[in-house]
Amino acid sequence: MAGWCLGTPCLGGTPQVLVVAQSLDDIVSLDPAEGYELSSMQAFTSLYQRLVQPDPDQPEDIGRTGLATRWTAEPGSLEFELRPDAVFANGHPVRPEDVIWSLSRAVKLNLSPAFILNGLGWTAATVGEHLQKIDEHHVRVTWSAPVGPSFALNVLGATVASIIDEREAESHAKGGDLGNRWLHDHSAGSGPFRIRRYIPHEALVLDANPLSPGDVPKLKTIVFRSVPDAATRELLVRVGDADIARDLGPDQYAGLRDRPGLQLRQFPSAAVHYLMFNTVNAAVPQLSNPALWEAARWLIDYRGIAHQLLRDQFQVHQAFLATGFPGALDDTPYRLDIVRARSILHAAGLDHGLTMTLDVFNQAPFTEIAQSLQATFAAAGIRLEVQPALTGEVYTRVRSHSVQAVWLYWIPDYFDAHSSASAFALNLNDGTTSIAERAGWQIPQLSALTLAAVREQDAGRRLELYRRIQTEVQRSSPFVIALQERSQLVMRANVRGYRQGLNADMVYYDQVTK
Amino acid sequence: MLLRSTATLAVTLGALLCVTFALSALSPVDPAVKLVGEHASAASYEQARHHLGLDLGWPRRLERYAVGVLHGDFGVSQSTGAPVAEDLRRVFPATLELATLAMAASTVLGLALALVSAARPGGATDSLLRVLSLAGNSLPIFWLGLLALYLFYARLQWVGGPGRLDDAYEYTIDMPSGLVLVDAWRSGLQGAFASAVSHLVLPVLLLAAYAVGNIARLTRAALLAEAGKEYVLLARATGAGVWNVLLRHMLPATASLVLTTLALTYTNLLQGAVLVETVFARPGIGRYLTTALFAADTPAILGSTLLIGACFVLINSATDLVVRLLDPRT
Repeated sequence: MAGWCLGTPCLGGTPQVLVVAQSLDDIVSLDPAEGYELSSMQAFTSLYQRLVQPDPDQPEDIGRTGLATRWTAEPGSLEFELRPDAVFANGHPVRPEDVIWSLSRAVKLNLSPAFILNGLGWTAATVGEHLQKIDEHHVRVTWSAPVGPSFALNVLGATVASIIDEREAESHAKGGDLGNRWLHDHSAGSGPFRIRRYIPHEALVLDANPLSPGDVPKLKTIVFRSVPDAATRELLVRVGDADIARDLGPDQYAGLRDRPGLQLRQFPSAAVHYLMFNTVNAAVPQLSNPALWEAARWLIDYRGIAHQLLRDQFQVHQAFLATGFPGALDDTPYRLDIVRARSILHAAGLDHGLTMTLDVFNQAPFTEIAQSLQATFAAAGIRLEVQPALTGEVYTRVRSHSVQAVWLYWIPDYFDAHSSASAFALNLNDGTTSIAERAGWQIPQLSALTLAAVREQDAGRRLELYRRIQTEVQRSSPFVIALQERSQLVMRANVRGYRQGLNADMVYYDQVTK
Repeated sequence: MLLRSTATLAVTLGALLCVTFALSALSPVDPAVKLVGEHASAASYEQARHHLGLDLGWPRRLERYAVGVLHGDFGVSQSTGAPVAEDLRRVFPATLELATLAMAASTVLGLALALVSAARPGGATDSLLRVLSLAGNSLPIFWLGLLALYLFYARLQWVGGPGRLDDAYEYTIDMPSGLVLVDAWRSGLQGAFASAVSHLVLPVLLLAAYAVGNIARLTRAALLAEAGKEYVLLARATGAGVWNVLLRHMLPATASLVLTTLALTYTNLLQGAVLVETVFARPGIGRYLTTALFAADTPAILGSTLLIGACFVLINSATDLVVRLLDPRT
């Protein structure tokens, strides 16, 4: 059915305009130094370029689509050569000054994603010393943290390291905010699109950038319509007033599977879901017992949750690096085995009725997963008291170490194994936050191994170290990593060229046609 | 009287401010974590707490907030990154428009139904009114909304779908007033006004359906309570027809109660349109507040609660005033 709206064609039926129905309620800011939500991360790839960034078709190749044509690495430094023809959407050439300003700005503003750049040892006071213009086309980046150049490259490929037109942004700066307020709803980048209009909680409209790097986008405009209700999103794509609908429920996908005029697409996502035990909770001392951790690994109905309960929106995955990530461990040694779990609990003296609370986000699919856990754990004599709560409330309780067991998910902050390894396998007890620190897991040896991996200069040896770390976390830790998300979306049959990668920012609209 | 009403308004709003502030202060969600993110270092976290004033005692924080509100500064929303006052200016007119149109439709229909029912109690219209009233109060509005969208938009294509305008207009027309009918009309674009109307029909009728039963039922009851009174009997004895008595004698006599019912319904529509706004993907204060609640966005929650509360107080005060003017005995 063609798009129809009282005699005027809807944009869903217009060849050069793509309409995407999704919820935009999570966007806090479209400034890459601040935005750190799913929808804003998805937009950044269309709006900005970084010095290096993963190629849409071969994510491990980071040198083809970024602003740098080549670079030379030395211990502690990288020298980048900028593309001579690189320009921002307003026609300004991309200068080394823009690179230096953008990276310093993100560190100085110190907003949510700044910690990624802090990983290079940069602080507001020192970042200026680490960024140096060599000539009109070269810039040198150095760092003080003990990390190798492959890690530094991946950090510089994160959205927080997007390069912004300094002159444009500074012309809109107010009260020393480095253009932050203006960039909330405007763009000043060199990506394939630019913001025409952003209305919070309503719509984000992008126009093609005629000076776009590489091929000019086939689409003239993308309209992201904020449609908070999933059933309404489904209706829009069925009628043809939207070309793509995101985030439908498992039953909705199943219902649309064989519907003519629509195509269902599935992309693996880097998000992994896991159960965490807080080992420092005094009310339930058994939470620090490795026997409980081991038994829990046999008490999750991995396949049932992934394939039956959540209708293939997940796949079974038991290591912190998602399948498809460089260095990922794809072994899945655990399955639901209640008899085995009971015998482990019995041997450890934990079979006399154990009760603990399980905190979960009060929304799908978390509450469904919690119910499954409740049933399988009960079969082994462990009573889980499910406590659904707002996302912010759960995180506040995790931060203050007041949870007992909690079901969470993890998405890497940048396309490097250290992002996940430093979360699950690093606890330095020095005020640095990590998931291991939240769980109170004391791991001096594993932390040393994680630090050694990030320092490793040889990329191949680095990945081997990450496999070792994953094996250790998988074998015995207060985390039971269980599932990897699959991102599903529904498109009209005539939509072609849409690409999506593992990480939240790897969403590419530049080659889309309809 | 005006002075007393103003004083009541000020005291009520002050109490509302204190209660909402206390509730947000007791919230189990840490706003600093929301600002700096889950991965922030302890130093960044403390810096954020200081920036938000969370390291101050609650009396000082309440004072800061109250002074800000008096200057029209409700703080910055953590979920949109924009000043709350700016967000409210954008979303509130949309709700005002939707609720006012729904109110107008439900008033006309509700009063008509009440009059017909009161003219013939126990008749077919009276029975219909009971069914409508029951349905309006018991059918979940989001379910009815989806059903209506599926039938009238997706299948029959009689009306526009979700959103305030067809996409061709929605993001090209400026919305200075925030009222889509006004802005679409002013834009001068061919078809824009018709598009705005077609997108309003379903949500307005749905909200009206929710309200019409209550208005009709309460007005009918008030009219029937008047039916046995002497002035009605006298009017009938002088030979006045049923409709004449109803419209010229009984309806004016129940004006105070009807006005109060209408005012309460209107305030409910202003803050209760959240599900309609969500299903029809329309902006509005109900949806804004709900999103803020889920995101634990304290400044947005406080700002919208205060605005809704102020509407309640203002509409009720205005109704009291009109009722007193109509009937000085009250």
